Amino acid sequence: MSKCMARTIIVILLIALALFTVYRGHAATPAAVDAEALLKRSDLYRNGWPSFVLRVKITNFESGKADEERLYEVSEKGTDKTYVEFMSPRDKGRHMLMLGDDMWVYLPDTSRPVRITPLERLTGDASSGDVARTNYAADYTPVYLRTEKVGSEDCHVLELTARRKGSTYQRVLYWLRASDARPVKAEFYLTSGKHIKSASFDEFATVAGKSQLRRMTLTDEIRHNSHSVLEYSGIAPRELPDKLFYQGRTDRF
Amino acid sequence: MKRLFISAAILLLALPAAAAGQQEAGRQDAGQADAPESPRREFRYSLAVIDDATTYSKLTVPLPRNLNQLLLEPSLSFRYDNRWSFSSSLIGLADTYSGTSTGMRVKETYAGLSAGDFDFTVGRRMVRWGTGYAFTAAGVLDPPRDATNPTDRLNLNQGRDMVKADFVHGPHAVSLAWSTAALAPAHSGLHDTTAFRYNVLVHGFDASLIAGDDRGGDAFGAFTFTRVLGQAWEIHGESAWREQEALLLGAKYTTASGITFIAEFYTPPNIAYYRDMTLSPLAGRQHYLFLDAGKSRLRELPGWKEWDLGAYMVANLDDRSYTAAFDANRRFGNHFSAYLHLEIPGGGKTSEYGLTPYSAATSAGVRFQL
Repeated sequence: MSKCMARTIIVILLIALALFTVYRGHAATPAAVDAEALLKRSDLYRNGWPSFVLRVKITNFESGKADEERLYEVSEKGTDKTYVEFMSPRDKGRHMLMLGDDMWVYLPDTSRPVRITPLERLTGDASSGDVARTNYAADYTPVYLRTEKVGSEDCHVLELTARRKGSTYQRVLYWLRASDARPVKAEFYLTSGKHIKSASFDEFATVAGKSQLRRMTLTDEIRHNSHSVLEYSGIAPRELPDKLFYQGRTDRF
Repeated sequence: MKRLFISAAILLLALPAAAAGQQEAGRQDAGQADAPESPRREFRYSLAVIDDATTYSKLTVPLPRNLNQLLLEPSLSFRYDNRWSFSSSLIGLADTYSGTSTGMRVKETYAGLSAGDFDFTVGRRMVRWGTGYAFTAAGVLDPPRDATNPTDRLNLNQGRDMVKADFVHGPHAVSLAWSTAALAPAHSGLHDTTAFRYNVLVHGFDASLIAGDDRGGDAFGAFTFTRVLGQAWEIHGESAWREQEALLLGAKYTTASGITFIAEFYTPPNIAYYRDMTLSPLAGRQHYLFLDAGKSRLRELPGWKEWDLGAYMVANLDDRSYTAAFDANRRFGNHFSAYLHLEIPGGGKTSEYGLTPYSAATSAGVRFQL
């Protein structure tokens, strides 16, 4: 091999290496994806309007068998006001209010609204935080990790870290469909690093021209034989008075 | 008579429930179409039926050992266009003790009007201004707290008859209430009360200032607060002035496994307003401690997911008497539950809780909720 040919091969290899590096940089580094914008876009699948109402039916399964059903009516306004009315017979008279980082529960058998600590929000198969806190962009700081396939879908993977004490989980791994930022699945972690739950976002439907989540499954990663199915219905935009979200108001239904 | 109660309650609920079904269907249809919103009508109802049997051990007074209580508790609420509301909650009680007696109580019945930032209420209703779990110094219009029954186990508390106006704007709320004692039972010792409250949520503190006057009694002032600290702690407190100062400090702690602990320290002055009927007027200022531990849904234990367990104790630190209680609750499906409640008083024969005329009270009951 002549010196000239060897030099040419080296130059070609260097150019190829440089092109590959540039390509990698554009295609897959965190800088290429605006994680904040992606997260905000994904939130629209669960919070289609600035002010709206919906119903959530939670069915808990134990060893694959449905053993409990609960119904909630949820009113949401902005990113930090949620009012939840418990509609199941066993929970009648209970209400829950979330204002920013603060949460109260109104129990018919105690004589005052009860402040709820962040740890109390985590109890249950599907916790109160799972029902009441669905604006992830307000609660978590996202970092783009990678792109990977889930089934046949190309997905962006975000790592979300709690940015406020009112966030339900300390860390979330969140898979969003690359084409439209639709949530696909998530993993939820505690401050201790323990993987506590996983979610799959199973079904969406168009409501008033917007694609909205209709069904998700939460799997308990500590008790592996337990999971919950959350079904959303009656989703509708509605003007809600600020007074509905006043913590001292006890004349609730 | 028990059958009469059940029939009356079912009849009371059947008509509005049927109407609600029609309204609900209409509402869903309206939600699917993009038509302009018509005035919204919302209706809620519930019915609880409780059968509670209590056995007293080692009675020191000549009374029957067993008490059986059947309670019917129908409730309904109606709201029209987020503006008008009506709510009623009744208690039908049939008890069999030395004989059988029946009665009806009005827990709450009130009408409300909401106009802009103002809410107006007329009728009997439960107001909850105190922040204490077992005690309250500042809850001047609240139902009475009983530290030996902090959750009002059988839902027997009744509201006060009042006219109330609330102004709510952002995190601020101002309430003015006038309550009459004219309809209260003669032995209740209630006065006509005028009370004012300012409530604000600021930096996580849910704080209130309360002031008012009992007709023919004392003027009073109070401060209350609650605050969540970190992941697991909640603190609350009340300071009230009525002739002398009353103070309540409390905290709640939740473990990672969902067990909740509550502790409260309470010191009221020994004046007629705060004094328990078992306490001597000469006993001086009293000091109480309340401790509670409980966990709902023991889902970590296979087969125990439907169980709630709890225990609490209230102690008078001055005469060293106490009452300890244990609660177990088991749910069956969506409508039924059963419970066991055990109460054990202790202390000297002249002490506050030692005066209780039994060594233990064991209650077992079933509850149906619609």
